[in-house]
Amino acid sequence: MSEVLDCSAIGFVPHDLKCDFLVIGSGCGGGTAARVLAEAGKDVILLEEGGDFVGPDRLTQRDTPMYDQLYVDRGGRTNKDRTVNILSGRVLGGGGVINACDVVPIHDATWAYWQKHHGWSDFSASAMQPYVARALADLSANRIEEKQINRNNQILREGAQALGWRGEVMLHNRVKCQGLGSCLIGCPASAKRNPRMVSIPKALAAGARVLIRARALQIRDATTDRKRVEVQTMDSKGYHPVNRFAIDAQTVIVAANPVGTVALLRNSGIGNRTLGQHVSLQPQVPIVALMPDRVNAYDGIPQAYALTEFEQHDPDVGLSGFRVESIFGTPGVLGSLVSAPGATGKALMAQLDHVAAALILIPDQPVGQINVRHDGRPEVDYTLTAEWKARARQAIRAAARAYFAAGAKSVVIPAAPPLLLQSVDQLAQIDTMTFDPATISLISAHQQGGARLGTEESTSACDLRGQVWGTRNVFVCDGSVFPSSSSSHTMTPIITMAHALTDRLLMR
Amino acid sequence: MTPLSRRRFLVLSSGAAALAVGAVAGLAWMRGSAPDVAGLRVLSAQHYRTMAAVARTHIPQGGAFPQGAADFDLARMFDGYLADQPEADQRDAGIALDLLEFGPLLFDHHATTFSNLTPEQQLAHWSAWGTATAQTRREIFWSFSRFLGLTFYDQQAVWPHIGYAGPSFARLATRPAELP
Repeated sequence: MSEVLDCSAIGFVPHDLKCDFLVIGSGCGGGTAARVLAEAGKDVILLEEGGDFVGPDRLTQRDTPMYDQLYVDRGGRTNKDRTVNILSGRVLGGGGVINACDVVPIHDATWAYWQKHHGWSDFSASAMQPYVARALADLSANRIEEKQINRNNQILREGAQALGWRGEVMLHNRVKCQGLGSCLIGCPASAKRNPRMVSIPKALAAGARVLIRARALQIRDATTDRKRVEVQTMDSKGYHPVNRFAIDAQTVIVAANPVGTVALLRNSGIGNRTLGQHVSLQPQVPIVALMPDRVNAYDGIPQAYALTEFEQHDPDVGLSGFRVESIFGTPGVLGSLVSAPGATGKALMAQLDHVAAALILIPDQPVGQINVRHDGRPEVDYTLTAEWKARARQAIRAAARAYFAAGAKSVVIPAAPPLLLQSVDQLAQIDTMTFDPATISLISAHQQGGARLGTEESTSACDLRGQVWGTRNVFVCDGSVFPSSSSSHTMTPIITMAHALTDRLLMR
Repeated sequence: MTPLSRRRFLVLSSGAAALAVGAVAGLAWMRGSAPDVAGLRVLSAQHYRTMAAVARTHIPQGGAFPQGAADFDLARMFDGYLADQPEADQRDAGIALDLLEFGPLLFDHHATTFSNLTPEQQLAHWSAWGTATAQTRREIFWSFSRFLGLTFYDQQAVWPHIGYAGPSFARLATRPAELP
């Protein structure tokens, strides 16, 4: 088999599927693991619950069908109190298909923090350097060119520079980018060097079997030599179950994003009490500025410049502070954030071409928890901490100042009701923001933790090889494994860890 | 405590039952009948009517540009969306729509329902859900406003009015054969 097998095809019920390695989830973790194992000559099956979307006929740049098809829960997943919209990919290639292409490796201070406080003795910055290099090579990482920086990003940079604040043009994983601007709902021009365009074709070429519209339901016999994984095929849209079959595997690698990974392990009766704990959502606050001139932020690379003045890296704290990054997308995204009902909301949206927008990335402590409801569906219990809220207010003040310094007429924080600031004299209003549940719409694009690696079973869900405590050859290989926020953007950290963990697996 | 006699128990339970039946009948009368809507997959005609009223209120016609939610039947789109969601979500959505419909009675103590308010009253009432003390009301507000905002501004007819030039791939001369 050298092509992707669509399990939604009518009558598809395979029998006697066997492999050495079954990889569940085809994103940055799973896609990388499948490719490395296949290239090492292993017999690999890669499962993906979502569909395969490549090219302009499938990636239409339309909000409704793309959020429906490319995102978990059709883009509607939130935490329990509906404050944080939890975005993750459900498509062949996973989050790499729908992210903003930011390449931000794990900082040396974060490796040091994990070594010092979480027992990650084997993972020093220098020991991990070869894996970082492999990740950067997979991604064809390169610096965004000056000519590719659109007006939206220029505005934030102008504001930062006017205030004397540090910032940087970001590394990304686009090659021959057309500046289409719809990165968050897939690139019709296939410019992203993501797992779908790099790891998965290589895995296929090395003989891996790739199945889509195939949802892993349960891992049986987790403590024995051979495992049996129950799989549900889905219909062509991924809405409804169709058939079931089983795969017999020697080793199972779960890489289904923290929420999916924890849910699968829990539904399989696998894992200790730490599984599902210590979850970081890294909530992001959207901020919108109305500019006097047209911005047309929807065209060009959405995220090219980062205001990094306030980001902190500390070997005793890990990643902290905050950063501000320009962002934009298709109009539905902003429309879903603008909660003001009636004419007010329409008046704001009518100025879409004059809008500059950014996300304020505020790393959090891993205080969340992933549970499984009685119907088997995951539920993310996550409450913002007082410390995070205080930092968020500082961050919003800084971002608003930057926009006013760049000439913004007004700045809006999409809350209910929206917080409208007309000048820097009104920044004190930000202090009234409570961040109480469902008073503001936050975004999580970088869920981490839930199956953290560690040396002690009492404080971690997996050992330092990624093997789930109490199992035999059931591994985790995605953002679940991090003990805290790995980076402001998780694509590169996850690919780095996938290389490292898969290498260990091969050296057993 | 005085033991409850059989006779007293029967009187009390009959009274409670009569009150409950009366309350349900009263609520049904207050809600009024909703016209039949052909082709709905999940929503009842009553729920469709409530959803359509919320959509019209959240994104009304007129103002900054002519189009509003009513031009695109976002309530039917919600029905289509919901039809492919798990049953538990469909049930929750039904409860949310019932709460919304009886919101004026439950939270404002007005003997009427959301669909029967004037557009101005609907806007005031719906806006209050976004800032309500009760977290459940705020959660419902955000859930519906996210859906309505996403689907409405994805409509091509709206784009010229908000300065969006449309999907960029079609605007560029690049053809797939020339792409990497």
